[in-house]
Amino acid sequence: MATKTESRTGLIDTDIHERVMYEELLPYLEQPWRRYITDCHWIQEKHMPYTQPAVAGVDRADARVPDGRPAGTDLGFMQEQLLNPNGHEAGILTGALDPSPSSMHGWYEMATALASAYNDWQIDNWLDRDERLYGSVQIAAQDPAGAVREIERVGTHPKMVQVLLPLDDILWGDPYYHPIFEAAEKHNLMIGMHHNEPPVHYGKWPRYFIEWHTLIPVAHMNQVTNLIFNGVFEKFPNLKVMMIEGGFTYVPFLMRKMDQQYKDLRHEVPWVTKKPSETVKEHFCFTTQPLEEMTKKEFLQVIDQMGSEDIVSFSTDYPHWDYDSPTEALPPGLDDTFVRKMLSETARKFYPKLPQKEG
Amino acid sequence: MKEFVCHEEDLQPGQMMHATFGKHDIVVCRASDGHYYAFLDRCIHQGAPLSKGKLCGAPQPTDEVGDYDFQQEGDILRCPWHGREFDVKNNGCMLADERMKLRNFKVEVENGEVAVTK
Ligand code: FES
Repeated sequence: MATKTESRTGLIDTDIHERVMYEELLPYLEQPWRRYITDCHWIQEKHMPYTQPAVAGVDRADARVPDGRPAGTDLGFMQEQLLNPNGHEAGILTGALDPSPSSMHGWYEMATALASAYNDWQIDNWLDRDERLYGSVQIAAQDPAGAVREIERVGTHPKMVQVLLPLDDILWGDPYYHPIFEAAEKHNLMIGMHHNEPPVHYGKWPRYFIEWHTLIPVAHMNQVTNLIFNGVFEKFPNLKVMMIEGGFTYVPFLMRKMDQQYKDLRHEVPWVTKKPSETVKEHFCFTTQPLEEMTKKEFLQVIDQMGSEDIVSFSTDYPHWDYDSPTEALPPGLDDTFVRKMLSETARKFYPKLPQKEG
Repeated sequence: MKEFVCHEEDLQPGQMMHATFGKHDIVVCRASDGHYYAFLDRCIHQGAPLSKGKLCGAPQPTDEVGDYDFQQEGDILRCPWHGREFDVKNNGCMLADERMKLRNFKVEVENGEVAVTK
C-alpha cells in the first residue's frame, strides 16, 4: 500500500508551467515583431477580471524565485524546489499561457511569430538544459496553415511530445482545425489541452473567481464533447488528447451522458462510428490536478465509473497556487500498482516520445 | 521539552518566522495583540511550509453580498499554496471549517526569549 510519505521516485509530471518574460523572447523574434514589443510595448490582452485567489496571486507564494523574479522563470530554482525533491523522472512543460498565441483574438501573424519564438526559447532554455523536461509545441491555431508549418518545424525535436491547444472560446474539433491534428499525428505528437481563460459563464465571466475556478471542468467538457462529435478520432485514429488541469471527476458523468445522447441522436453525426465512452477510454487521458479531497473509497468509485484505471495521470501544476503535492494529494491506501500507473506509467504510454521501458 | 526559539524582538506584531523545535520545523507567529503562537510549519492540507505564507487579516462572515470587512489583521495565517486561512489566536482553526486545525505548541516568553514547550 502506498503511504502519504512514500517517495515518488520515477514521477512523470504532466503539467509544469515554465514562464517566459517578454524580454527573453526578443532574441528569438524577427523584425517587425520584435519592434512591436520594444517600441510599442505590446503585451497580450488578458481577460480574467480576477488574479487574486491565493497569497501570491495565481502562484504558490514560495515559488517566487529568491532574487524576486516571478515563479516558473528559473530552471535552477525549479530543479531545487520541484524536480529534485519529488523524484521527477520527467516533466511535461505546458507553458505559462502568457503569451498564449492560440488565445489571441486577432493579429494572427503576431501570434504565429510569438509561437515560433516561444518554441525556440523553450528548447534552448529548458529542454536542452534538463534531460527530465519535455515540451509542448506552441502554435497559433487560429491560422491552421501557419500552425502546421510550426509543427513541421519544431515537432520533430526529440523532446517535443505534444501540441498545446488552450481552452478559451474556440472549440477545436471543428474541421477547420483538423490540419493541426493531421500534422500532430504525422509527427507522433499528442494534443495537450489546457485552459487559459475560458469564459465559463455563458461566454462571460462569473462574478467571483471561486465560481470560475469551480466551473473549469465545464470548459474541458465542452472540448471533449466537441472533439468526439466532430469525428476527430475516426479521422485521426492515432491521435490522443491529454486534458490538463480539469481533474477527472467530471468524466464518468460525461461518458454516460454522451453514450445516451449518441443512441438518440446518432443520425445527426453519422461520421461518429464509435460509442463515445469507448473513444474517451481510447483517446483521452486526464490529469489529476486540482484534486478534490477524497477518501480512497470515493476516489476508486470515480475510477470505477470511468471503466478504466489507465486514463488518469498525475500532475502538479507547479508553480501555480493550486499545486498538488505528489506525496500528499492522493488519498492514502491506494494500491501500489495503480499509484505507479497514475504517477508514471499511464503518461509513459500516452506519450510515445517519452523514454519507454525495455520490454 | 522546552526550547528557546527566538528573541522577543525578532518579531513585531503581525509578523511570523520559521524556527526549529527539536526535530520539528515550526512557525512562530506574533499576533496583533503582541502574543506569540507556534505551530508545526506544515499545512494540514498538503504539507506546504506555512511560514512562507502570510500573516494577515480576513474578511468577516457577513449577511451582505459584496461586503468585505477585513478584520483580525495579523491574526490569520494563510497557507502559501491553496490559501486556506487559520486563526492563530483560536488554536489554529481553519476559518472555513473549524474542525480542522493546525498542530500547535505552547509558547511562553521568559526574559525576552520566546520558549516553546511540548
Ligand atoms: S497545503 Fe495549505 S492550503 Fe493546501
